[in-house]
Amino acid sequence: MATTAPALTPAASGYRSGLYEWLTTTDHKKIGILYVANSFIFFFLGGLLALGVRTELAQPGLQYLADENLYNELFTMHGTVMIFLFIIPMLVGFGNYVVPLQIGAPDMAFPRINALSFWMLPLAGILLFLGFVTGGAAAAGWTSYSPLAQDRPLGSVGPGQDLWIVGLLLIGTSSILGSINFLVTIFKMRAPGMTLFRMPILVWTVLVTSVLVLMATPVLTSALVMLFIDRNYGGSFFDPANGGNAVLWQNVFWFYSHPAVYIMVLPAMGMISEILPVFSRKPLFGYKAFVFATAGIGALGFSVWAHHMFTTGSVYLPFFSLMTFLIAVPTGVKMFNWIFTLFRGKLTFSTPLLFALGFLSMFLIGGINGAFSAAVPVDFALHDTYWVVAHLHYVLFGGSVFGVFAGVYYWFPKMTGRMLGEGLGKVQFVLMFIGFNLTFFPMHALGLSGMPRRIADYASDAGWNELNLAATVGGFLIAASILPFLWNVFVSLRSGKPAGDDPWEGNTLEWATSSPPPPYNFDHLPEIRSERPVFDLRHGRAGSGH
Amino acid sequence: MSSSPRTRFAPGSIWAWVLLASIAIGLILTVVTGSVGALFPPEAATAQGREIRDLYTIVFVIAAVIFFVVEGLIVWTVIRYRRKPGDDELPPQTHGNNLAEIAWTVVPTLIVAFLFVISWQTLNNVEAVSAEPEVTVRVTGSQFAWTFDYLDAGGNSVAKQTVANGEGGILALPVGRSVQFRVHSVDVIHAFYVPAFLFKRDVNPDPDGRESVFELTIEESFAGEVLRGQCAELCGLGHRKMTFEVHAMTQADFEAWLVEAQQTPSPAPSGPVGTTLQLVAKDITYDTLELEVAAGEPFAIEFDNQDVAGITHDVDIRLADGTVVANTTEIDGGTSTTYVYGALDAGEYTFICSIHPVPSMTGVLTVN
Amino acid sequence: MTSDSHALTTTEHSPVAGLAHDAHGGISNPILGMLLFITSEVMFFAGLFAAYFASRAAVAPWPPAEFEHALEPFSLVFPATVMLVISSVTCQIGVNAIRRDDRAGFIRAIGLTLILGIVFLLIQVYDYGLLYAEGLTVAAGPYGTTYYTLTGFHGAHVFGGVIMLAVILYRGMAGQFSSRHHDAVEATSIYWHFVDVVWIGLYTTLYWLR
Ligand code: HEA
Ligand code: HEA
Ligand code: CUA
Ligand SMILES: [Cu+2]
Repeated sequence: MATTAPALTPAASGYRSGLYEWLTTTDHKKIGILYVANSFIFFFLGGLLALGVRTELAQPGLQYLADENLYNELFTMHGTVMIFLFIIPMLVGFGNYVVPLQIGAPDMAFPRINALSFWMLPLAGILLFLGFVTGGAAAAGWTSYSPLAQDRPLGSVGPGQDLWIVGLLLIGTSSILGSINFLVTIFKMRAPGMTLFRMPILVWTVLVTSVLVLMATPVLTSALVMLFIDRNYGGSFFDPANGGNAVLWQNVFWFYSHPAVYIMVLPAMGMISEILPVFSRKPLFGYKAFVFATAGIGALGFSVWAHHMFTTGSVYLPFFSLMTFLIAVPTGVKMFNWIFTLFRGKLTFSTPLLFALGFLSMFLIGGINGAFSAAVPVDFALHDTYWVVAHLHYVLFGGSVFGVFAGVYYWFPKMTGRMLGEGLGKVQFVLMFIGFNLTFFPMHALGLSGMPRRIADYASDAGWNELNLAATVGGFLIAASILPFLWNVFVSLRSGKPAGDDPWEGNTLEWATSSPPPPYNFDHLPEIRSERPVFDLRHGRAGSGH
Repeated sequence: MSSSPRTRFAPGSIWAWVLLASIAIGLILTVVTGSVGALFPPEAATAQGREIRDLYTIVFVIAAVIFFVVEGLIVWTVIRYRRKPGDDELPPQTHGNNLAEIAWTVVPTLIVAFLFVISWQTLNNVEAVSAEPEVTVRVTGSQFAWTFDYLDAGGNSVAKQTVANGEGGILALPVGRSVQFRVHSVDVIHAFYVPAFLFKRDVNPDPDGRESVFELTIEESFAGEVLRGQCAELCGLGHRKMTFEVHAMTQADFEAWLVEAQQTPSPAPSGPVGTTLQLVAKDITYDTLELEVAAGEPFAIEFDNQDVAGITHDVDIRLADGTVVANTTEIDGGTSTTYVYGALDAGEYTFICSIHPVPSMTGVLTVN
Repeated sequence: MTSDSHALTTTEHSPVAGLAHDAHGGISNPILGMLLFITSEVMFFAGLFAAYFASRAAVAPWPPAEFEHALEPFSLVFPATVMLVISSVTCQIGVNAIRRDDRAGFIRAIGLTLILGIVFLLIQVYDYGLLYAEGLTVAAGPYGTTYYTLTGFHGAHVFGGVIMLAVILYRGMAGQFSSRHHDAVEATSIYWHFVDVVWIGLYTTLYWLR
């Protein structure tokens, strides 16, 4: 491999191809890259919407909104885009790229369905954004509580909400098809020797995530369908004015959306579980415990949904409180396993590790401030305030987004054959880390002092001015941190340092093929005797205890 | 591969320090926010809120300990186990340790079990409702107004306060007495939230009028204080304006206030009126969006609100730039009234429901 | 370190090295895929059923007086139910036939299944017409909404199944299936049984559990 050096000139591997090739590809690697690129576009769009929110909230008084409904559209679309068009597909994209490589498979089980799953996403995105030009995008929050989301005066009249429903139906279908694809791939297409307990942790997390998608997303589909019937055919599911039940929507929505928050974080956890061992040159501490903890989170995830409904006055509070507390336990197991992976390691501070450490330190905050809400009476105070906004960004941004960037820096060399610049990477990390905390930490205090979510303006004497200004400055700092990243990608694609097959001394099979890998991934496979086949190859079995 | 990764990427222990610095900045932020905005809820104005605040404090202390221990562990490990330049040895390949796994499963389980038990206890206290509360207030949420009805023992409203778009009446409450709230909505979901109570409850629509009930007792020390209240559940366009003021009063003041509030002053229409127009509001829509009157003489609008009780409307008159020319008091669904307006100069005006400034309740008044 | 240490063990030398399909034995990819798809469908219907029971719990009496006699279990729907159950049997006969390489038997049985499926749909459409005439519409309150949503989505699934049956019938007539190669048939039949089971659940819930 050293003699041909395919990585230096991707064209030499016969891999480079034109636009048509990208539009029609069924290669899991190209589809994975499409997912990632598409998700980044929506991350930027969702981020711009967030900057709109932050600009409006920078000071008391309406800054620029002429039409106040636009504010509701902004955060609704921000939340929807970030969750359904950015973070979930982004993680699916990494799964798509990495999972077949890591299990030594030539492709996903159903390549054409894989392509179909992907192409539903840009279409859904277009539908969602169409709302802005057809009289107003969806504006009832990403949770679209009924009756506000119903077609009624002062509710959600106009096509925006219907476009939202149809868009989410498409995304849901895409997710379900994707999860089936992952499950069949993982169950049926592992290379010889790759037993379940030798699978890389990322594969495990994608597996559990796929089970969650398979079981939870169809329930969202049913909820959306019912809402659509309510809105368009006079149905009576969720609108009390028609004899329906408003809290029913919340039950079905959260039955999906709580498991969904683990869909949004488990693969990111898997990604940093690949990265931490490599950069500390140790195996993952407690592999099996980690697998069981992942499965445990998945299972418990189905029994906590009503912690979003503590203040409705119509759920059995102690049960959901207990389950919500309990979910901290398997997550804690993971946290400690990560830390003890670093412990006594030899850490190399490349950018992927920095972002992975960002994940550890920030997700910890998000997990802990989530646990506050598990104490029901405390949630009576915190619910629907900026505390919850702080929580959700600490887990989703501090956790998942940092994990995603760790993954980008880690796998970019494999995907493109070129390294991303370390210097710019570190600049991005520092800016983003500071901006992130500056944006979202003050929100804890805002929430505690009573600032509700989803308001376009607040009283100037409520004591929220400074904290909001800080958050806005932080938001723009995060945006600024994106610029070195974009520049980095641009420069590295053209003239980045050639990566070689295995720039990080990786552990898993993707590092045993060229960068980028050939169409069917492997010419040869190393023998698989542990969850670190490439490590075994490099160091012999000396270091491996399995 | 021609060169080793280690020479390409000098481990540069500096990056450990950069990371440390970043985390330090995070921690400084914590401290700063802690001292400016306080990481504690406001002092609780109710007995129930006080319990919640005590619970919060316990949770906070435990959380802080966990945070500092775990975050400290991360930071320490990161600094301690940097790879030295040129160090090519593999560290010991530890794969795990069952004892450790058990420890960090059991200890957090015990912690959360404890947290669960104390929050359950607090929950029971907070949710307790008495059979015969000393004061009962029915809270009706609507887009975008609150109505507070003070109920007598028979459940009849003896006094009523309406706050539309944050303006109008108040929620007066006596200190030291148990106040039962019965909340419901006439349209979408709202939430009754007073930050100083450390409490909120969703205000759900229910056609059968089923109410959600909770009870609070304001602390004596809060007599004379004015507390901010706000709708906490997104309810549409005017969600942010659904604020209200809680006036905590001594019992004597409250009794006096209640007596005064019972005499609902009805604004008597006065003076000779030119034209009298009819206007009906139903389903948050005026039956016409075009009205015409003669210039230079007072006129009246007989206004019929046919929406359900709890949905209030009014008919204000504004200039194109939004300047309010006539500000009327809103009336409840199911009632009607006659608004009398002063003489206007010729021109085009807007007549609008100030509670629902939507297109279906925004019309053109032509004066000629 | 040089790439010499990367000398990889050759396992298989083909573009699909590691496909290892047979190494895992068991069911084929399409059939596993179909089973997983059906799992997701079960959850979809679970969502609808949950909504049904929630709506039902809030409406007393159920059915509402004006629709007391609307859902008559016997006249039309019972024969339709029987037909769907029989179609499951004929479908399985078709699968067994192709497993024995009995192509004629396969075509006969699947053809019959297809016809039964279509007749079921026609009966359902006719029944909808009758109910509509009685004033039971989607907008007629929770009873109508849940009835049409549940049966409607079931009907849509039957329709999907009919299409799949038509496709395998066509492919069978074109001689594309054999005892060794008929994953599509197996997958279709699993799906058809599932649709049948959902109907039995619906029929008992909507028509009997009142
Ligand atoms: C990636 C997404 C993600 C993740 C992983 C989580 C994880 C958790 N979430 Fe979060 N959550 C959201 C995304 C997420 N959440 C979103 C988007 C919302 C808002 C939705 C909306 O309304 O818009 C929300 C809202 C939300 C609420 C509702 C708040 C409200 O509206 O009032 C609650 C209530 O209990 C909650 C709880 C939790 C808990 C207990 C966890 C736990 O899983 C966290 C567990 C982790 C730890 C605790 C840290 C590590 C553990 C240890 C170090 C062990 C020791 C710790 C202890 C003993 C405590 N979340
Ligand atoms: C993964 C999920 C995710 C992510 C990453 C973010 C990112 C951000 N969010 Fe988040 N947010 C949510 C999920 C997320 N959010 C959800 C679910 C809600 C709840 C919604 C609801 O209530 O319904 C929410 C709500 C929410 C609110 C509350 C609104 C309200 O209640 O009124 C706020 C307020 O500040 C906010 C701010 C931000 C900011 C400043 C960022 C920043 O991190 C954004 C950073 C900025 C960028 C990334 C822009 C970069 C762009 C450029 C540099 C330009 C380049 C452009 C091109 C090349 C085209 N968000
Ligand atoms: Cu009422 Cu928000
Ligand atoms: Cu949740």
